[in-house]
Amino acid sequence: MNIEKINKELAKRFGAEKYSVKARREHLVLEGESGDWQEIVAAGYLAAKHTGKLPGCLVNDVKYLDYEQPAMRMPSIQDDSLEGATPDVLIIGGGVVGCAIARELSRWRLDVLLVDKECDVALHSSSRNDGMIHPGLDIHKSSQKYKYNKLGNAMYEQICAELQVPFTREGQYLCFPKKLPSFLLYLTKLYWRYLDVPSRVLRRKELFGILPGLQADLGSALFFPTAGSVCPYSLTIAYAENAIQNGARVSLSTAVLGMDVTEENGRQRIKAVRTNRGTIRPALVINAAGVFCEDIAAMAGDRFFSIHPRRGTNSILDKKISDSVSRYHASTLMTGHAKGAHTKGGGVIRTVHDNLLLGPNAVESPEKEDFTTSPESIKTVFDKQAKTSERLNQGQIITYFTGVRAATFEEDFVIRPGLYTENIIHAAGIQSPGLTAAPAIGAALADWVAQRLKPAPNEAFNPIRPAIVNAAALPDEERDALIKQNPDYGVILCRCEQVSRGEIVAALRRPLSCDSVDGVKRRVRAGMGRCQGGFCGPLVAQEIAKELRIPLERVRRSGEGSELLYGSIKDTEVTS
Amino acid sequence: MTDKYDVAVIGGGPAGLAAAIAAERAGARVLLIEREARLGGILKQCVHDGFGLVRFGEKLAGPEYAERFLTQLRGTGVEVTPQTFVDEISPLKGPRADRVPPPTGFQLKLVSAKGMRNVRAKSVILATGCRERTARQVAIHGTRPAGIFTAGSAQYYTNILGQLPAKRCVILGSGDIGLIMARRLTLEGARVLGVYEAKPIPSGLPRNIAQCLHDFDIPLHLSKTVTRVFGHARLEAVEISDVDGVMRPIPGTQERVACDALILSVGLIPENELAEALGVALHPVTKGPVCDQNGMTSVPGVFSCGNAAHVNDLVDYVSESGETAGRAAAHYAMNNSQFTMNHYASLSVDDSFLYAMPQRIHLREPVDEITVFFRSREERGKTRFTARLGNEMILNKNYRQLRPPEMERLTVPLEGAELKPGDVIALEMEEMA
Repeated sequence: MNIEKINKELAKRFGAEKYSVKARREHLVLEGESGDWQEIVAAGYLAAKHTGKLPGCLVNDVKYLDYEQPAMRMPSIQDDSLEGATPDVLIIGGGVVGCAIARELSRWRLDVLLVDKECDVALHSSSRNDGMIHPGLDIHKSSQKYKYNKLGNAMYEQICAELQVPFTREGQYLCFPKKLPSFLLYLTKLYWRYLDVPSRVLRRKELFGILPGLQADLGSALFFPTAGSVCPYSLTIAYAENAIQNGARVSLSTAVLGMDVTEENGRQRIKAVRTNRGTIRPALVINAAGVFCEDIAAMAGDRFFSIHPRRGTNSILDKKISDSVSRYHASTLMTGHAKGAHTKGGGVIRTVHDNLLLGPNAVESPEKEDFTTSPESIKTVFDKQAKTSERLNQGQIITYFTGVRAATFEEDFVIRPGLYTENIIHAAGIQSPGLTAAPAIGAALADWVAQRLKPAPNEAFNPIRPAIVNAAALPDEERDALIKQNPDYGVILCRCEQVSRGEIVAALRRPLSCDSVDGVKRRVRAGMGRCQGGFCGPLVAQEIAKELRIPLERVRRSGEGSELLYGSIKDTEVTS
Repeated sequence: MTDKYDVAVIGGGPAGLAAAIAAERAGARVLLIEREARLGGILKQCVHDGFGLVRFGEKLAGPEYAERFLTQLRGTGVEVTPQTFVDEISPLKGPRADRVPPPTGFQLKLVSAKGMRNVRAKSVILATGCRERTARQVAIHGTRPAGIFTAGSAQYYTNILGQLPAKRCVILGSGDIGLIMARRLTLEGARVLGVYEAKPIPSGLPRNIAQCLHDFDIPLHLSKTVTRVFGHARLEAVEISDVDGVMRPIPGTQERVACDALILSVGLIPENELAEALGVALHPVTKGPVCDQNGMTSVPGVFSCGNAAHVNDLVDYVSESGETAGRAAAHYAMNNSQFTMNHYASLSVDDSFLYAMPQRIHLREPVDEITVFFRSREERGKTRFTARLGNEMILNKNYRQLRPPEMERLTVPLEGAELKPGDVIALEMEEMA
């Protein structure tokens, strides 16, 4: 690696002395200033091409002019509920990765504490992705993505059976235009074989037999049978619940504010982690902080990678269209219009709940918590996917959401022990296919921790997490018996998704606390349907008030400050 | 054990109540299925008055109007099953609309706190009402804060739960429920900053514009829409933009209005998921089933009425359509062996209509007259309405004004017209000098 060479390239492409790279300890740092975020990202990519042989990655210290990153959104609560805690392992981040690690660690007799700044787990990327379990088509064989995706993909049947989370493995179709000679598809099979991804060529007739709604100008497809679909937040919640069942602790609305790091014999060590709920002194810290993983690394004195947030918007379509677009099967379609090469990201996916999901697009933007949607991003995705199926249109949308991926400039995961700080392990830079990889990341990190701390096995570990019963999915006799036992299971409150009062009350009594309308929605799907909670929203709010014994006006839609109502019309003071 | 009925009415709102009463009076054994704990449907939360002017000649509040029918219902033998959800509905024979013979009846799988129950009915009336178009369906973008309500949900919170959902709000859409809520929230002390309507004309009834907005000095802004919302936990502001002739926002016209709630009254969609499960043909404009003059859909034995058939502006007409469907469903249940397919004439409308109901006329029995409901596509001045059968003029009528929000009702005499299957009655409008 030649620093001068990179700097020459940077100068050639972006102008003299605009950006420069220098080596710092065991990683690279990109410096300079610019008012163009897209250019900064491009410069970062260029520089990161050269970090391959270094232990560290590229750190972006370019000053983005006239921009100030908004402060991380913080819980307002201040207490000392965690003051003096000395867990063996502190996991920062309650996404699917953090929760998977917590669950795998609960196999051992360890004091495990997971903290997340939000009011629930899975509120960032883990509830804002397309739920696809990737076969691993476009990742370098030498990457961490490749390794963990492959391992994770193979774990899905077992993990979803244990955690009682719906999972389907119906394969992925990569469709190609008719004018592309099909022998080219057979040629690509060599590449799939090299990647060790099972694949099959589907000729036109067979393809249209399976996917009748396809556009007529598509000719053939590659089929990848190992692709699947899971509900990402259901899986995350299930991981967290199973971890709690087995002795781990989860503290929500808990933000990490800073760390005390000491240096002895040239090695750094985290002594204390300061939060809004007290100072924690963990033996080991796991950084699973998603889009904030760089910030956590910095607090630990271990910032050797950078995140450039990448936003993506997904649309969810009415279930009605699922049948007519792809009646018999198909979990995924991807377009292959660009010269036979498949386009990364952006597909039509049939979710485990039978909705069609379209997306996501990809937009580089510096803000880490910008979950806003825009008409343009929906249009981008629809314009692209309409090429696959003529029956798709924006009128079928029931909702849409934006997620922010935590991409490094190397576009790879950073799963490794700290580079400069000894008692931290990073599960950072996790983006697609992070969901697929999560079970494997969880298992790997638990192994590393076990090797380091040498704990005894948790003899009482129970891998089975009992799910909330889905009454409408039961056979009639069982459903009838359930209702006779608890009549609440016969009272349907969410008509679109057929969710009973029994299920909603059950969601409020789980090991991981749930106390908001959206929390209930993520657990039992009340409000996920075509009326988007128009009918059941007030009913769910009443159940929450009743169960938690709080007045209705304290019931929140989601996190703090999201109360739905202002109190009784009899005694509400309004000043305007 | 399967209980057997002549007629199963699904939905206990104004349409279903009228249908159940009428069917029972026509001699049928009737089951009325309601998913909520109490009958009355949306009327329960409509505490404002104005209901029943056509039917009872007086202005009633929603619950009072419902009570008139509930009183009648108590005097009948209609079996009511509240808090019951129709899980599945399937024809007993002849599974699709276009197959002969028609179904001999329907099996309904019901779920309630008592458990699962299967019932059979010879005919079914879908009186399932409608739902509100959501924020996502009108492409509201930006953040996802609390404080965005459909007008109906806001009305439920205010009138049923006695809770205030807004202190300083913007209303998008000038549908009637939105106008009613503008007044209601103002009366409860909230500040309604304005009603914004993307179309150049209001969607609600003129009397509601006058009584709910003008009387309370609430501004109505036409050709403007909400393009974005702000706020992370609770709504903090909305962005309003002017729209062009095809309702696309015009860049550069954005203004930001601080508010804590956005209330949407942007349209109603008939609920027809059960109809679709039965293979009932839906009309692209009404979004309800294609119906004959008795409310019968394309599937013999399946009837539709009220807002499930098409969105009405007056409950009086909803009740009327319920009664029509109720009588016909009872008749069908007791005589369905004589039912014949393909005995239909149809109604066609020209482009000046948004739609007309019914879309077709069943001719098995002599038809003396039919009741036609229609909406004009655009606001019009003096207009001549005509109904023709071939070259023969059946009816003409002059209107001083026609407006899309106001549904027109008229009776078309057919005595002596000698309608034959395949005949088309053409409805037309022309401008008058």
